[in-house]
Amino acid sequence: MSEKPRKRSTFDTMNEHLEEFDELADELMESAFPEGPSWNTETCCLQALSNVFITSREVIVTADLPNIEPETVKVEAVDETLIEITAKMKKKVRFADLGICHRQGEFSSLRCQDRVHVAVDAEKMKISFKGGVLEVRFPRKKRYEIEVE
Amino acid sequence: MSESVKIVEKKHVPSEATMIVGLPDVGLVGLIATSYLISELNLEEIAYLDSDLLPPVVVLHKGLPHAHKGLPHAPLRIYGNQNLIAVISELAVPAPAIYPIMREIVEWGQAKKVKRIVSMGGIPVESRQAIKEPQVFGAASNQELLDMLSKSGLNIMNEGYMVGPQALSMRYSINKNVPAIAILAQSFYNYPDPQAAAIALKELSKISDVKVDVSKLLEKGEEIRLKARDIMKRTQEEMTRMKKSQEYDLPLYV
Repeated sequence: MSEKPRKRSTFDTMNEHLEEFDELADELMESAFPEGPSWNTETCCLQALSNVFITSREVIVTADLPNIEPETVKVEAVDETLIEITAKMKKKVRFADLGICHRQGEFSSLRCQDRVHVAVDAEKMKISFKGGVLEVRFPRKKRYEIEVE
Repeated sequence: MSESVKIVEKKHVPSEATMIVGLPDVGLVGLIATSYLISELNLEEIAYLDSDLLPPVVVLHKGLPHAHKGLPHAPLRIYGNQNLIAVISELAVPAPAIYPIMREIVEWGQAKKVKRIVSMGGIPVESRQAIKEPQVFGAASNQELLDMLSKSGLNIMNEGYMVGPQALSMRYSINKNVPAIAILAQSFYNYPDPQAAAIALKELSKISDVKVDVSKLLEKGEEIRLKARDIMKRTQEEMTRMKKSQEYDLPLYV
């Protein structure tokens, strides 16, 4: 017996809008308070430096990933415009290794998230890794060409 | 002398020395190169820079040469021995403060009769990861120095804009008639670039008596890149404020 599709309630729509609002609020907080640390002891991640270049045909995301195992690099499109890059480090780094004794924690991976602001086709991404710098090229999803008369 | 910036001397400052300036900038090339120089040559902290234009910051270090363990230091410090003075900042210098700071450094250098001021830095190149061995370019405040750089085999930067600490070092040195050189290695714009720093140091050794083995710097490259992420991020914010991207522009002189 086939299940009858449930009708979307007003609450579903409201929840959807609330989720979008939460995401937007997170993004605004990140841009308003960029002073947060470049590490996270809960996720054991260090924040990687990254860049986004947008051209007319593609989006190029680069990330500086020192001390990582190249085969562990993971590039994920969280949604159409949010790219997440993670990679495991060759060896764990503790605050003590950096000469810091007033904090505790160790880090096993590098991570960055970049908003690319244009839709990309993540399935067609091309990845290269040279000299510790990752480069990911995504074709842009939609291009409109207007013919000149 | 600038009133808003003061250089406080802690020890005897040599005269007739070469002054190396390595402030945070493109790829942190100057800062990495000069810090390495300080540590390799075991230079002593001889002065520091004090200014209300800088954020209220002190830095605690246990590993500084000749320093007591864990004592606070000014982030903008001057090191030296009998022949060499080295200026570094562990703080991204706020864009508006760069003018009085560079003016004070050049005027102080003039008062100490420095032989010349050498600014170490980077030239941002978009395809840096495709370059195996970055090239180094030089600029100088007078023709005699430019000829010397050229004879030493350094590429000369003939056309283009310089923006930031090196630009002001050059501008104020010309005003004060202090010989000045800039050594600029191709580098990442906003990723710390120890390899570019090592190559800049190799070129420095060709034009001066300052000679260091850069193999340790290259070995520690990954560790430096991890540790330098925060200062690179803050430096990038200041580079944006000082319109550093103008270095990509083509100058117009018809």
